[in-house]
Amino acid sequence: MKISTKGRLATTTALATIGLIAGMIWWANLEVEDASARRRQTIELTRGLTELRLVTFEYMLRRDERPRAQEREVSDRLARLIEAMPFSGAGQSEVVAHLREHSVAAHRLFEELAATPVAEGPNAADAESTRRFEAQLSSRLLILQQEGLADAFRLTDFSTERINAAQQRVVIVILAGLALIALTTVGAAWLIDRSVLAPIGKLEQATREVAAGNWNYKLAIASSDEIGDMSRNFDAMTQSLRMSFAQIERSNQELAALNQEIEAFSYSVSHDLRGPLRSMDGFSLALLEDYGDKLDDEAKDYLRRIRAASQRMGRLIDELLGLSRVTRAELTLKPVDLSEVAREIADSLAQQQPARAVRWDIEEGLTVHADKALIQIAMQNLLENAWKFTSKTDKPLIRVGAVDRDGKKECFVADNGVGFDMAYADRLFGAFQRLHHESEFPGTGIGLAIVQRIFRRHAGKIWVQAKPGLGATFFFQLKG
Amino acid sequence: MTEAGKAILLVEDNADDVALTLRAFKRSHVMNTIAVARDGIEALDYLFGRDAHADRAGAPLPTLIILDLKLPKLDGLGVLKAIRADERTRLLPVVILTSSKEEQDLISGYSLGANSYVRKPVDFAEFVEAVKVLGVYWLMMNQSPPGAAP
Repeated sequence: MKISTKGRLATTTALATIGLIAGMIWWANLEVEDASARRRQTIELTRGLTELRLVTFEYMLRRDERPRAQEREVSDRLARLIEAMPFSGAGQSEVVAHLREHSVAAHRLFEELAATPVAEGPNAADAESTRRFEAQLSSRLLILQQEGLADAFRLTDFSTERINAAQQRVVIVILAGLALIALTTVGAAWLIDRSVLAPIGKLEQATREVAAGNWNYKLAIASSDEIGDMSRNFDAMTQSLRMSFAQIERSNQELAALNQEIEAFSYSVSHDLRGPLRSMDGFSLALLEDYGDKLDDEAKDYLRRIRAASQRMGRLIDELLGLSRVTRAELTLKPVDLSEVAREIADSLAQQQPARAVRWDIEEGLTVHADKALIQIAMQNLLENAWKFTSKTDKPLIRVGAVDRDGKKECFVADNGVGFDMAYADRLFGAFQRLHHESEFPGTGIGLAIVQRIFRRHAGKIWVQAKPGLGATFFFQLKG
Repeated sequence: MTEAGKAILLVEDNADDVALTLRAFKRSHVMNTIAVARDGIEALDYLFGRDAHADRAGAPLPTLIILDLKLPKLDGLGVLKAIRADERTRLLPVVILTSSKEEQDLISGYSLGANSYVRKPVDFAEFVEAVKVLGVYWLMMNQSPPGAAP
């Protein structure tokens, strides 16, 4: 059974019990009210009967008209009360019938007594018999009236008994209901402990195992409730994780194999492609040196061109290898003082070409979280570019700094050199892409491809803003 | 400039590179005898006087070995390992002269006991300069270990 079904069942039981108790209290209230009304009626009846007795005694003493009239009035009232008595049930209706009979008989006796002449006069014997008859009547009347009172008291007892019984029944129902509610509560607590808390403990243990890398851990809770469903889903999840993990591992192995292939390829490129170039250059030079006197200027020029082309291709191969090395290098991320890196490169550039008067403006305290060797290569390329493209500028200025954009730090390398048309900006970072003729500004066109790859490897990015004749600014952002 | 008696063993499979290296030696006035081995096995045969070089058994060892890394049969690092493993050649100066500038090759070369690692430049003028410096250093300035050569 589902836990939710069990929960609903417990709630329904508790609610039904509470409803039963409430109904019982309501019923008892009605019962007590009804019984009280009857008791009031019987009390009134008792009062009437007592009054009737008083009136009877008074009439017997005085024998005048007023008590007689009163007796009639009270008898009528009693008759009406008895007729209105709503009593039902074996004992009660018998008592009521008895009472009715008695009061009718009592009334008749009273009339008889009233009709009897007063016992006085000359005939003493007559008077004596009359008196005896009168006494007999009175006694019978008083007995009847006394029995009526006893009946009235019995009716009062009936009502009192009813009230007591109703109250007793309410107490029993409330006790039984409370016991049922307590039982339901204990059952629910036991159920929660057995079907919810214990499996959650197991689940918690399982999540800890899986988090620690134990992909083979199985929860295996067999119950058919929600926890069982969850356990099955959990096991399915770890299984699919296990499969994904195996898949990733396979892909990683494939990648490693691929990487090894690339490395072997780079090695061949580095070794085998440079050999023929060396021969071309070496033998051209040999020709120039050993047979120079037999060659005219045009032939010498051709040989020089062959040498220049070989050397250029040598540089291209080296830079391609540099690009591949940047891709393959393992990253060691540490805080790097970018200002210091920039200053060192600036110093070495100034040393290589002391004739050039370039103004450097390098912001202090620039720190990035990066691989130092790679960031040095990137900065070397960016600053060399800035140095190169300001070679025809009047007052060359190269700036290195950082700006804050939307709470993120962006570093930049800016120059006031030749710049370029932003229409070509997309091509700028591709390998072997050049925006200027090599005769104007020498280079292989691979530097910015290396720079971009370095920032990509850091999950960062680089972009450029430039205007022809006004210079270029390279912005870059590193994660963290 | 240098004594002809001190021999150099050049281990190089590429004929162009052999010609260019010999030319570079000539141009930098290195006059030593230069023996050429075209693969790794031949280099070891030459050094230890075996097989094709059986006639060299007991002959003096070269003063300097110039070793390419990429060689047929047995590569340069294998040759270097064999040289360092043999008591007779253990102390011979070995200079690696190769096109590769892979970091891994540099590390392996030095850890196997290479004395120098020189990369062949494409520009022949630079190449001549490198060979010249090599010759001056290893054949003239450097004191060979005792017993290496006469």
